[in-house]
Amino acid sequence: MIRIAAVGDVHVDKDVLGRYRPALEELPDRADALLVAGDLTRHGTAEEARCFATEFGGLGVPVVVVLGNHDHQSDRQGEVAAVLTGAGITVLEGAATVLELHGHRLGIAGVKGFGGGFAGACASNFGEREMKDFVGTTEAAAASLAAALRSVECDALVALTHYSPVPETLVGEPLEIYAFLGSYQLGQAIDSAPAALALHGHAHHGSERGRTPGGVPVRNVAHPVIKQGYNVYQLLSGGGDAQLAGAAWIEVFGFGRSGTRGVMYTLLWILAVILVVSGIVALFRRQLLWGIVLIIVGLLVGPGGVSLFT
Amino acid sequence: MTNRLDLEAEIQRLLTEHDRISELGITVHRRDDLVMLGGEVESAQRRDEICRQIAVHFPDVEIICDIGVTRAQAPSEVEEIS
Repeated sequence: MIRIAAVGDVHVDKDVLGRYRPALEELPDRADALLVAGDLTRHGTAEEARCFATEFGGLGVPVVVVLGNHDHQSDRQGEVAAVLTGAGITVLEGAATVLELHGHRLGIAGVKGFGGGFAGACASNFGEREMKDFVGTTEAAAASLAAALRSVECDALVALTHYSPVPETLVGEPLEIYAFLGSYQLGQAIDSAPAALALHGHAHHGSERGRTPGGVPVRNVAHPVIKQGYNVYQLLSGGGDAQLAGAAWIEVFGFGRSGTRGVMYTLLWILAVILVVSGIVALFRRQLLWGIVLIIVGLLVGPGGVSLFT
Repeated sequence: MTNRLDLEAEIQRLLTEHDRISELGITVHRRDDLVMLGGEVESAQRRDEICRQIAVHFPDVEIICDIGVTRAQAPSEVEEIS
């Protein structure tokens, strides 16, 4: 089971410092990571980025973000990303990261994305140079998201964007501006990989829930939509836990792990079993102290529980 | 009350492009002789600044500033994704 917290469009500046912090202090008790779906700042300045890092950094859980259109307003998005990265926050733009959480690998692929519209009302890569640049930007963003999504091997894959990949989560916004709020190409990119969840922001008056044409759940986590400090989503709960239960022994004995780590786990388990069995045999032979020592050493050697090697 | 047909557009652009506001999520609706502003912002200072700037730039327009501040409390529920 993995729990991820998510919010977008927090637009942090000095006047917001401290507003989110009480809820964020509780976050490690509620979730394993925090994802922020862009518009971290108001004008995209380094100073505002530092405010964001102060408010959302140092939580004790990984923080992964994409930038939004507000973070580009001052044309200093590189500087903003550098400030955030320096504060230990992972910034994704056509890239992916993997978090190891409770023995699961959570893959997150992110891109800001762009507008362009959706089926029946979308812009085309045709005509004036400005129009081709507009649609070309969306196409490039979607292509980089698709590549990032397909680049990771993980147990649960999440797509993180600022712009929306589907029109369903825009319901509430004026229809006339849908083309500036997202693009169907982002949805196609998400459907090109086995994503478990897609998160976006940007549409303050939109709706929370939708699905891509391929069936991937989409959540609009823009702050004015969710109306709380962050939402929490649970992944790998039903099927994941069942699979875990079924695969428990495989995992415990290291066969589910790869490379030298798996071999080491297997050897440690064999050694632990030998030590504990020897200890029990010693107890039957009335070698009380020796038996207890062997059992304790065996428990300490075996992976899991009180192991020295966990 | 001004009769300018483009009033809502002018207000919308001011809300977005004014450096002290930069809000894209404010709704502007004209109702009889009133202009109603809606939506939510991140702080009370931002809401007050919006109302102040609108009053300065459109002194002849009667404005109702119905803008809220988005709550930021911790969630009480978890959604299971399946």
